[in-house]
Parts: sequence; structure tokens; C-alpha cells
Amino acid sequence: MQLDPRTKLIMVFSLSTLAVFVQDNRLLLLVLIVSVLLVAYFTADFRFVKKARKFIILFLGIAIIQSIFAPEGEVLFKLGDLTLLTAGGLQKGIRVILRMLIIIVSAVIMTGSSAREIVQGLIRWKVPFEIAFMVSLATRFLPILGEEARDVYIAIQLRGIEPEKLPLKQRIKLYSYLLMPVLTGVIVKARELSTSMEMRAFRAYPRRTSYLRLEFKQQDYIVIILSLSFLMVILLLYLLNIW
Amino acid sequence: MTLPIMVKDLSFRYQGSKKEILTGINITVNQGEILAIVGLSGSGKSTLCYCISGIIPHIYQGELSGEVLLKGSSTRSLSLPRIATQLGIVFQNPETQLFFPIVEDEIAFGPENLCLAREEIGQRLAQVLELTGMERQRYSNPQLLSGGQKQLIALSSVLSLQPDILVFDEVMAQLDPAGKELIKNMILNLKEQGKTVIMIDHDCDNLVIADKVKILKQGRLLDFDGTFS
Repeated sequence: MQLDPRTKLIMVFSLSTLAVFVQDNRLLLLVLIVSVLLVAYFTADFRFVKKARKFIILFLGIAIIQSIFAPEGEVLFKLGDLTLLTAGGLQKGIRVILRMLIIIVSAVIMTGSSAREIVQGLIRWKVPFEIAFMVSLATRFLPILGEEARDVYIAIQLRGIEPEKLPLKQRIKLYSYLLMPVLTGVIVKARELSTSMEMRAFRAYPRRTSYLRLEFKQQDYIVIILSLSFLMVILLLYLLNIW
Repeated sequence: MTLPIMVKDLSFRYQGSKKEILTGINITVNQGEILAIVGLSGSGKSTLCYCISGIIPHIYQGELSGEVLLKGSSTRSLSLPRIATQLGIVFQNPETQLFFPIVEDEIAFGPENLCLAREEIGQRLAQVLELTGMERQRYSNPQLLSGGQKQLIALSSVLSLQPDILVFDEVMAQLDPAGKELIKNMILNLKEQGKTVIMIDHDCDNLVIADKVKILKQGRLLDFDGTFS
């Protein structure tokens, strides 16, 4: 189903709001299940599962840190005098993991729309074109920044330096050498980009027209109503402690 | 008759630099003519491009004397959007000229800035894509195209503003032989349509399409005798 990017933004907004507000793990799990089902229905893009796998260790680390620094409830695991895992800490850890997963999964819903469509959606919501356009530019140029840093890193390695074998102090110093060429490259690119935009009449007038036309269809209204209803119901269940 | 481009005694020095990068440059280009400017790296070719296209003094600052006239009007007095409708410039690196994920959006960007009606933008899109032979790439991601195709998209995005003058700043520098052929044929095609072209290059093989060739040496523009020495 092809949805308007604004509809998708509302869906993501509803799910992320629930991820932030709700403190109940069972409700958060329900929100996560709904998010996964929505991704399956609207995008069928499950590449995030592969990416999420990389974060498993991080998630476990968070759970243990939560348990150590926020020990609540029954002690589940102890190492000498040090409490490593408590029921309350584990619950908090799981909550953080669920929140992260909901935010990551719900963001996948947006992948079906191009950056241009999202920009246009934001403009229709009265976000100034310059700001919406800058957001899309950032998403386009962030990977280039990474590539540039990698290139400089390889250039350093090609000069016979093995960063992994250096002591920490020297390694930190080496990373400071990365900063200057990457920063220079970014400034040069930004300058070229802005010149190119100016030479294509960017900001010629206070307003601009748009070739891309976005229009809400019946399905958009239905999805928006369902998303907002879901948001309200879960919030009510949580606030009134009915669940 | 008003000439498309006339440069009168142009000199330029970048802010903070003691040395003039351009000294006493005079250029006249007739309509439908291709002028090639060659020169070694650091000779000021790109700076000359920026002066002709109004980027200097509108974006980059420095000490500028003399005048660049586009169809009789000085670039100093014209605003950049106004210049953009008369003169289009394509740069060496297509990566920093393409910022949308779909070719169509990329080409529509300029006309949208000029507040043209949707129908007019649609017409220009179709026209430009046909001219550059990129109709099949209309809904492609520019980042997934070859170097030559990317430059053609960058050119298309400039052509959608319908300028009569085109400046190519070493556009073939990063291209393979096939990509260079694509661009050269395109430039000849534009000349046939009466467009005035200034191409900056340092590869002698690319100069065969030019009507006039000049060399930039130590900031001065001289007739090119076939050697850089």
C-alpha cells in the first residue's frame, strides 16, 4: 500500500511517543509487535533485523548496567558482595531495549518514501523548505562523511602505521590527525554544494513551487485515524492502569 | 548585436592573497560558439569560470576589477538567480551537484526555485531528458549512475533553467573515454541549438570540439599554440 509520507510520519510519531511515555513492559512489547506488523505490511523490509542483531551485546550491557546502578527488587545474580542482576534492574534493562527496538522498527516505516517526498510532506506541514531540505541533505551526505573518514584512515595505514597496534594515547593522537582532512573535505564539499544550489536559483524568491504533488487518499485518512486511536488507547490503558 | 559573453580587462585577487590570480583578461564569445580555455593546474581556470558565472563576486569574495558582461549586463549588477536563467555552470565533481535521490527531482529543482507552474516544469523535464538522452533514467537514483551519466544529469538540471550560455568547468576530468564521448557529443548538440559554450579543460583530446582555444598562463589569457610550455 502506497501511503502519503505525512501518514507514515504520523504512524512513526504515534509509535515513538508510546515508546517514550509508556513504562509498562507488557504494553511496550505490544507496541513493538504492532510496529513489526506495520513494517511487514507497509514495507516488507526486514533488513533492520540484521542491523538490530549487532546491538544485542549493547542491549545486554544496558540490562546489566541498569541492574548494577538501579538495583531494585529480588537479587537474581550476585558476585561476592556485588549485585550484578536484580529483577527491577532486569525489567528496566528490558524496557530500554524495547524502547530502542520500537524506535528503530518504526523508523523503518519511513524507508518506503524518498527523501524528496518526506521534504514535501514537511513543507505541507508548514516547515520552511530550507529546514526540511537541510534535513534531507544531511541524510544524503552523512554516509559520504563516513566514506571520507575511512579514506583518510586507509591513507594513514598505507603509510605503514597500524592503528590497532598503537598504545591508546598514540591512537587518540592519530585520530586527531583524521579530523583535519575530514573537516576540510566536508567544508569544501559543503561549499561546492551550496554554490551549485545558488547557481540553480536556490532562494530566488521567498516561495517556490513543487513539481511533486502530495495528496491524502482515503487509505491515508483510515491509517491516520487508526494510528491516533492506537496511541490514545495504549496511553489510556497505561495511565488508567487497566492493563 | 549584444554578445553573450564579454570580459573586459578582468583582474582578480583572492582575499588575503598578495598575488593576482587573473590579470587583464579579455574575452569575447559569439552566440553558438565553443570557447575552450586550457591551462595547467593552479593557473586560475576555475577562478575565471567563477568570475564569468558571477560566483565571484556574489559568493566568493576578493578584489575584482574589470567587468564581465552577460548579454550586455554586468554580473555585478545581476542577482545570482537572474544569472542562473542566462548562464548555467556544470562543475567537475558531479557528487556535489546532485542532491536528490531521484533524477526527476534533481532536474525539477531549478524550475521550482523560479516558481514555474507545475505543467511548465513537466514540459521542461521532458524536453531536457530527451535532449540529454536520459529519459530512461528519469526515476533512477543519480548516485547509482555512471560518471558520464551523472554529469549528464548535472547538465540536465542546469539546462532545465533554459540558459543560453553554458560553462563547463573540467566536467570531463573524472570520466572514462566513453563518458567523455557522451559529454562531447552533448556539447556539440548544444552548440547546434545556438547555445554559447565555454569549456575549461586541461586535456588536449577534448579540445577538438572547440571553435577557439585559449591558454591561461600565470593569470594571463593567450592564444593556444598546442603546447602547455
